[in-house]
Amino acid sequence: MLSEGDWLALGVSIQLALLTTVLLMALCTPLAWWLARRRLPGQALLEAVLALPLVLPPSVLGFYLLIGLGPNGPGGWLAEVFAQRSLAFTFTGLVIGSVLYSLPFVLQPLKNAFSAIDSQQLDMAAVAGARPRDRFFSLVLPQCREGYASAAILGFAHTLGEFGVVLMIGGSLSGETRVASVALYEHVEAGDYVSAHRLAAVLLGLSLLLLWGLFRWQRRRPGLGAMP
Amino acid sequence: MSLELSVQGLRGSFRLQVEATLQPRGVTVLFGSSGAGKSSLLRMVAGLDHCDGAIRFADQTWLSQDVELAPWQRPIGMLFQQPTLFRHLTVQGNLEYVARRRQSPAGQQAQVIEQTGIAPLMARRVEGLSGGESQRVALARAMLGAPQLLLLDEPLSALDEAHKRELLDLIALAARTVPVLYVTHNMDELLRLADQVWLMKRGRIIAQGPASQELSRLDGSLAQRADATALLAGLVADYAREDHLQGITVGDATLWLPVEQRLVAGESVRLRIAARDVSLCLSAPVDSSILNILPARVVGLREVGPGQCLVQLALAGQCILARISGRSARQLSLFPGADVYAQIKAVALV
Repeated sequence: MLSEGDWLALGVSIQLALLTTVLLMALCTPLAWWLARRRLPGQALLEAVLALPLVLPPSVLGFYLLIGLGPNGPGGWLAEVFAQRSLAFTFTGLVIGSVLYSLPFVLQPLKNAFSAIDSQQLDMAAVAGARPRDRFFSLVLPQCREGYASAAILGFAHTLGEFGVVLMIGGSLSGETRVASVALYEHVEAGDYVSAHRLAAVLLGLSLLLLWGLFRWQRRRPGLGAMP
Repeated sequence: MSLELSVQGLRGSFRLQVEATLQPRGVTVLFGSSGAGKSSLLRMVAGLDHCDGAIRFADQTWLSQDVELAPWQRPIGMLFQQPTLFRHLTVQGNLEYVARRRQSPAGQQAQVIEQTGIAPLMARRVEGLSGGESQRVALARAMLGAPQLLLLDEPLSALDEAHKRELLDLIALAARTVPVLYVTHNMDELLRLADQVWLMKRGRIIAQGPASQELSRLDGSLAQRADATALLAGLVADYAREDHLQGITVGDATLWLPVEQRLVAGESVRLRIAARDVSLCLSAPVDSSILNILPARVVGLREVGPGQCLVQLALAGQCILARISGRSARQLSLFPGADVYAQIKAVALV
């Protein structure tokens, strides 16, 4: 049904979305905990910055990333870590861009879930003999399952739907940085509407499936809101 | 095993500063109006809130200049106003959560489940439990792991009357094996449970001592209250079957009170006598309907409020209070050492 190139692009998309989601879960867990449970100076400004990808045109973020990740940008040293001259037009660069772009979609559900935890539950767990790390795994994590599921699905689906950022920093190298949304764009540019239709249908179906699964699961377990 | 406290800490608008020693047995009621700092003190003892100073328990140092044990390192069990069961677990899961972490001795779980009567609830999710059931499970959970001190923070405030009584009985039972520090602002709970009382006001403990002594102290804030009540320790004596009256001996005196069921002779019981239910005569009245009229000696008098006088009486070696009008006190010319008869209109078991 799909051409080999399109399968490859879909594979890159899914790989990118998976990696981004995993990284975001690890990054946002402590960040969301801080934002939800502590009062920090300058917190409102920090939250505004972290929520920027929600409202900013993706091309703006992409533009700054292109500059930032380039050899002369402040992210040049980061490129050296990965033994590359520049992170622009690499898969690593895409992951960095996606992490920034999808961050609020993972951060917000986790923050909501952490805010909803009653601090007396944590106190009681401490008296019951649980140390902080134990409390996180035995109490916070199970009570925030909904939040984690929302965060994972939204982070994954949103990265899958990424276009503006990858267009700016991706470079559309087949098997490396050409993701499904960009491949679709290129089909349309080339006037290949048959391929475009097929790929679009696959992306539509996949995204719908993910969100449908999420909302079904949330209906079954009424509790925490998912959307930021 | 006793708890010695010498702690200071800031608490909102005032400074909490407490020096106190917990008796190693029975229930110590930490009593005071809301906002006095009772819950804060309890949280400091638990290690949930930071404070400065020293806390020693038996031979362990919980807090000193260089030591601060975390809550999970202190051998305590705790109850909050709300049951605070772990809502992602079943009743069984809640008990096991503690049993695993606190290394509950073998067989203790079964014993606690039996004692608190929660066996039928074990498989239930905690969301479906009633308030009374939840608090019973919470008490069972607090007792697991053989805590050496139970800290209870107004555990009855969210319960209705029937469940209050039930939980009070369970707490009294638990207190036979482990010392309890019990926070409340409710006089009934104090009368029911307290062996010792710590009175707290604006972050300080203003009096501490045996409950019966603190309740009947003329200069104490408990005696100034409109519901001032004295406690008497007594022994169950004869039962007058035809009158449905139970005799209780207090020293060499006997009080009679109506009961639905006769009590076990020889058992020790506590009686409560409200100051406003006691009136005084200079001679023994022979034509009174009042059942309990006992000779007593005036220990002291104190004016409380306009036209009101509080009289402390020695009765069979213990103390009770009478709240009478100032005019009556003058007309009877009461003075410390005067012999009187106390007419006790109502007496009840606690």
